[in-house]
Amino acid sequence: MTPRGRRRRRQTGQISSGAAWLWLAPATALILGVVLFPAIQLFRASRGEYSITGLRTGDAGWSNYTAVLNHPSLEVVVRNTVIWVVVVVAATILISLGLAQLLIKQFPGRRIVRWAVIVPWAASLIITSQLFVLLYDYNYGIINHLLKKVGLIETSIDFLGDDRLTLASMIVVGIFVSLPFTTFVFIAGLNAIPGDVMEAARVDGASAWKRYRHVTLPLLRPALMVASVLNVIYVFNSFPIVYTLNDRNPGYAHDTTITFMYKLAFESQEKDVGMSAAAGIGNVLLILVVIAVYMKVVNWQEQTR
Amino acid sequence: MTKKSLVLAALTASSLGLAACGGGTGAGNADGGDGGDGEQATSIKLVAAEYSKDNTKAFWDEFAKKYKEESGYDLEVQIISWDNIDQQSSTMIQNNQAPDILNLNAYASYAKDGLLWSAEDVIPQESQEDILDTFVKYGTYDGKFYGFPDLASARALFYNTELFEKAGINEPPKTWDELRDAAQKITDLGDGNIGYALPLGPEESQGEFSMWLFNNGGMWKDGDSWTINSAENVETLEFLKKLDEDGLTQNNPGRTNRADAFDLFKSGKVGMVVGFSPLAAQLDEDGTVDYEPAPFPTNNGGESQTFGVTDYLMAFKKDGNQDAVKKFYELYYQPDQVNTFIEKEGFLPVTESGVERFSDNEDLKVYLETLPNAQLTPTDDPTWDKVKLAVQQNLGAAMDGDPKDVLDKLQQTAEQQ
Repeated sequence: MTPRGRRRRRQTGQISSGAAWLWLAPATALILGVVLFPAIQLFRASRGEYSITGLRTGDAGWSNYTAVLNHPSLEVVVRNTVIWVVVVVAATILISLGLAQLLIKQFPGRRIVRWAVIVPWAASLIITSQLFVLLYDYNYGIINHLLKKVGLIETSIDFLGDDRLTLASMIVVGIFVSLPFTTFVFIAGLNAIPGDVMEAARVDGASAWKRYRHVTLPLLRPALMVASVLNVIYVFNSFPIVYTLNDRNPGYAHDTTITFMYKLAFESQEKDVGMSAAAGIGNVLLILVVIAVYMKVVNWQEQTR
Repeated sequence: MTKKSLVLAALTASSLGLAACGGGTGAGNADGGDGGDGEQATSIKLVAAEYSKDNTKAFWDEFAKKYKEESGYDLEVQIISWDNIDQQSSTMIQNNQAPDILNLNAYASYAKDGLLWSAEDVIPQESQEDILDTFVKYGTYDGKFYGFPDLASARALFYNTELFEKAGINEPPKTWDELRDAAQKITDLGDGNIGYALPLGPEESQGEFSMWLFNNGGMWKDGDSWTINSAENVETLEFLKKLDEDGLTQNNPGRTNRADAFDLFKSGKVGMVVGFSPLAAQLDEDGTVDYEPAPFPTNNGGESQTFGVTDYLMAFKKDGNQDAVKKFYELYYQPDQVNTFIEKEGFLPVTESGVERFSDNEDLKVYLETLPNAQLTPTDDPTWDKVKLAVQQNLGAAMDGDPKDVLDKLQQTAEQQ
């Protein structure tokens, strides 16, 4: 690097690469230690052969991957994951749009309602999940109690033990815990929409629905995108809800790929760290692909507009 | 562009964060452990399971003090809940950071992997002779004694005397037919009363099923061959399925964990359940349910069998830790240590001197009489460590499916290992 070049850089407000690296060092160390190192270890584990005790007994090549792909329950687990992510994220976004619309209006007690919406976010997911296990319980759950009191049902509903209802019951909890974050993203997005645009639309005689459809929604695009991408990641990775609510059910009929990965390592008859790590690599790839596809689609729409 | 980079940043952070949480890291090729260069360890580490919040930590902390006084070695104590100990111990071994002593409900796979000291290396002869023969037998893998028991439990039939009285039943059942009749009468009382609480969910279905199949002359394993789908065992599982179909159990037994069944019994709505001494202690403390323990009924009215469980304190073989580990067991198996622990936690003794010491305890009588002849699951076979998990994840399916089919598949799993 020539002195002249360096000087010119200083003039444009840049610093020498040495100083730059010094400033970047903490962040780099963090990324290396917290992201890269575990990722490499995960990959190494996925290529290892492990005893049930956790002892590494040799190299497995790709056999852990083929074992995961040939697992008899993989199909149902993947299907559960798709339903879980799509339904939870879609429903969360729809409900949050409505909630946000309500919460930006001025009304008495708005502050309290906003706080109430945020509370589920503050609670730990495990505690929320345990709470729902109690609410849903067949023998002493409040939901069954209420339904019986009102006379809607005669015998209790087995929300978490009936195969037809388990996933749906989990999805309700998934939506419940995703609402606060999403709603507040939308509130921020709605607040950022300039009032004059709205006014112009109104002057032009656009109906409320048309204003929402053609002004509000397009301007909410960045918020919608952030909310959906982050929610897909959160919901996909959500372990506590699925694990806790599905705790009493044997087998994998209601597992997602995340709890499946955990069970492979610690609870299944395989009890195999290597297989679980291979499933973990699969999880990372899956979510990367989903997000890449999503961003591609969104970009494509932007370019064709 | 900014929104795209925001999304990208979020994506990178989250998806790679996921990698960090993935199914376990580490790749230590463990062949013995740390230390390494023949030096004497000055401190050893114990990883123990938490039997109760009040007593476990208190006991081991006190024990560590005493151990330091007597041996000069430090004892580092780490207590882990039962929910997490499997996962954490597995991670420790992956990362080549095995403790010196590990308290767990299985040992054979560890012995098979060559990780453990056997009794001849670390247990004083005197203590070895004191341990009950049953536990030595089930603690022996490949001719050597590796699975040193820390405490034991034995199961019995708990019945709600108030409900029995209401239903006009005078005696606890001695045969399965009597049990079914009693369950029918209690269910007929209505008001949500449940005849028999049957937990076949993943928590511990092998325990419940063991109790039943032992009392039908069945076994998990006979000599060297697995007998999971024997005629007796199929009959047993069919009987349980029938109980469910006739509505004599709680809802959905295939998806009820042991803890849930205990909660139901504690609520006073259940006629009978398989219990053990810690449940008795809780019931006595609550004082709301009148109950009695009784020997479990048999299918044909023969002599009642009990299902026994013991947990293990196994010793990991590391360079330089032999003497410290040996001193640990020397102290632990002294009657006033091991029996104090067992007494506080409400379990049963594992030594002959312990049986003697507890013999005048009326509450424990029903268990102690059966303990020396208790049948255990085949914990001495490393294959069982996997079969057990297969049973936990699959046995409950028999309630909605074909019992023989489920047992055939389990048999297959066991034979394939």
